[in-house]
Amino acid sequence: MLILRDLDYLGILKEARRLSQTKRRRSLRLAILGDCATQQFVPMLRVLFGREDYDVEIYEGNFDAIELEVLNPESGIYQFGPDIVIVLNSVQSLRDKFYERKTSSEEFQSAAISRITRTWDLLLSKHRPVILQSNFVAPFERIFGNYDQKIASSFTSIVSHLNSRIAAEARKRSSVFVNDVEALASWVGRKSWFDERMWSIAKSFCALDHLPLVSQNIVDIAMANLGKGVKCVVLDLDNTLWGGVVGDDGPHGVQIGPHGDGEPFYRLQGFLKELKNRGIILAVCSKNEHANAVLPFQENSGMILKLEDISVFVANWENKPDNIKKIAKTLNIGLDSMAFLDDNRFEREAVRTFIPEVIVPELPEDPADYVKALSELNLFETNSFSTEDAQRPELYRQEADRRIAESSAGSFEEFLQSLDMTIEVGRFTAEQLGRIAQLIQRSNQFNLTTQRHNQAQCEAMMNNVGGCLPLTASLKDRFGDHGLISIVIARIDRQSATLVLSDWLMSCRVLSRGVEEFLMNYAIEQAKGLRLETVVAVYIPTAKNAMVKEFYARFGFDKIAVHPDGKSEWMLKVEDYQPRKVFIRSEAPEAHLMESQGQRT
Amino acid sequence: MNDVQDRLADTIRDVFDDPALQINRATTAADVEGWDSLTHINLIVAVEKEFRVRFTTAEVTSLKNVGDLIDAVGRKLG
Repeated sequence: MLILRDLDYLGILKEARRLSQTKRRRSLRLAILGDCATQQFVPMLRVLFGREDYDVEIYEGNFDAIELEVLNPESGIYQFGPDIVIVLNSVQSLRDKFYERKTSSEEFQSAAISRITRTWDLLLSKHRPVILQSNFVAPFERIFGNYDQKIASSFTSIVSHLNSRIAAEARKRSSVFVNDVEALASWVGRKSWFDERMWSIAKSFCALDHLPLVSQNIVDIAMANLGKGVKCVVLDLDNTLWGGVVGDDGPHGVQIGPHGDGEPFYRLQGFLKELKNRGIILAVCSKNEHANAVLPFQENSGMILKLEDISVFVANWENKPDNIKKIAKTLNIGLDSMAFLDDNRFEREAVRTFIPEVIVPELPEDPADYVKALSELNLFETNSFSTEDAQRPELYRQEADRRIAESSAGSFEEFLQSLDMTIEVGRFTAEQLGRIAQLIQRSNQFNLTTQRHNQAQCEAMMNNVGGCLPLTASLKDRFGDHGLISIVIARIDRQSATLVLSDWLMSCRVLSRGVEEFLMNYAIEQAKGLRLETVVAVYIPTAKNAMVKEFYARFGFDKIAVHPDGKSEWMLKVEDYQPRKVFIRSEAPEAHLMESQGQRT
Repeated sequence: MNDVQDRLADTIRDVFDDPALQINRATTAADVEGWDSLTHINLIVAVEKEFRVRFTTAEVTSLKNVGDLIDAVGRKLG
């Protein structure tokens, strides 16, 4: 898979020896011609094409015999009949010819380019193979120093000119593609790229460690020609497309723009906008209120991407794998032509688990590195471009201009199970008070009553052992420790045998994992233990907490009152509660919370 | 020096993918199946990685047996 891109040279050699002999789904005939060594590429290409589920049969031309191979109508390459011809021209071999030149630099240059184009045209006149022509890596020998650039006849200038000519000639021939080896060399750095011992001993045009990268580049171009490629990028919003959380920070509070903390996101948006202009469809898949999620696109002037750049916009609280399937269906494209960008490891893992076809790159922790990491994966290879391509996203947007309906999760439960989540629930403790007050101040979206208790008030609740049940929940999963992520405060009214849920809030980072179900089960258990008969609860609407408007209805509470300001009251008989299924294990002892204040293990 | 020999033997077994390979100072390329000029440079790359050393071009081409390789590595490690 592209995403793994395990490109360790010795590792691939080992993999090549163990390559399964069972037939793969598809096969491909490759020919390699080079003025440098080509044998080392054979195991690389077998492994890397194998990862794409292709068997390859490889024809190797003789060393430094490109012209002999193509000029002779009886040569093996024509009998072989390749689908793809890989032509490798090395700057080292060109250098030898340059040192031995007996003609002017101009003649040297035009002879070099015509050798290359003649090779293509001969190959194309026999069969119609796809030709992957390497360009030349810029030489490190600078005879004039920087002044090389000022001298048209310097070797540096000749190589740079030849590369332009190769590109220009390839543009004239639809089945010739440039294998941009120069880009690879400058990416890894030419100091590391060139191992001239390997040229002396084995005529390898680069250090052996970089051969997998060249081979993967060849595979990437070939796969684009075989119809594989990313057509659509599905984007998360908060902390992926902008910094911060729009539901909390507001459309003008999120970080986006050419300066400051928003710059990395601004740069990603610029990159995505270019992809969109090229015909890659952009879609949004975000856990947010739809009304909030669109606001930065409409109102924040730092945004490069506008709503019309997004072909399908999905913002809801459903799980992402289901939403991505819906996006694929709406656009009528294959899941294997989609890439998904999300800063959240949980979401990436969920998508990988449920829709393994979707390409899910690891995003680095630092947003400043997002574009670099994506570029390294070379996800957006193509074999054609036309003006119709550029219009595609807009057409798709018009077609998909309908809201995506809700649907239920299927085997999402299995996924939750695989997360190996553990939760620790207990009364407020003194050490937690700082974090508790902070979460109470900051939570906007998943917050039923949005009452901003300060630390002293929290401390008072902690100490009110008989009358108050102030709970925190901390979550861990196999990815790590999420810390304290939810707070539930209940008051105990013994006279009416009622538990009053006065506060319920949770960090949106842990949505749809069953934390709220776990806590509701827990709260009702506590009510039973205290011999309480009813639970009452309140929802107070704010500009930001619409997502939990029906929270208590989900658990079977009846709405018993609605006030003119929108505040609603809810009630449930303890004996009527049906415990919810959860996939989180408890880490702390649950009993005796009322008796032993603040004690947790 | 024994340590170098052991690590080198492991590297050679790994490169030629033969855990049972018997290696001593006198072992030459001819004694090992698959040890040709092509795999020789793969072995050199593996040894360079294992010991964090760098051979000269002349060393790569002049090593006649495993003993030479051990000595070359030993010289570089000082």
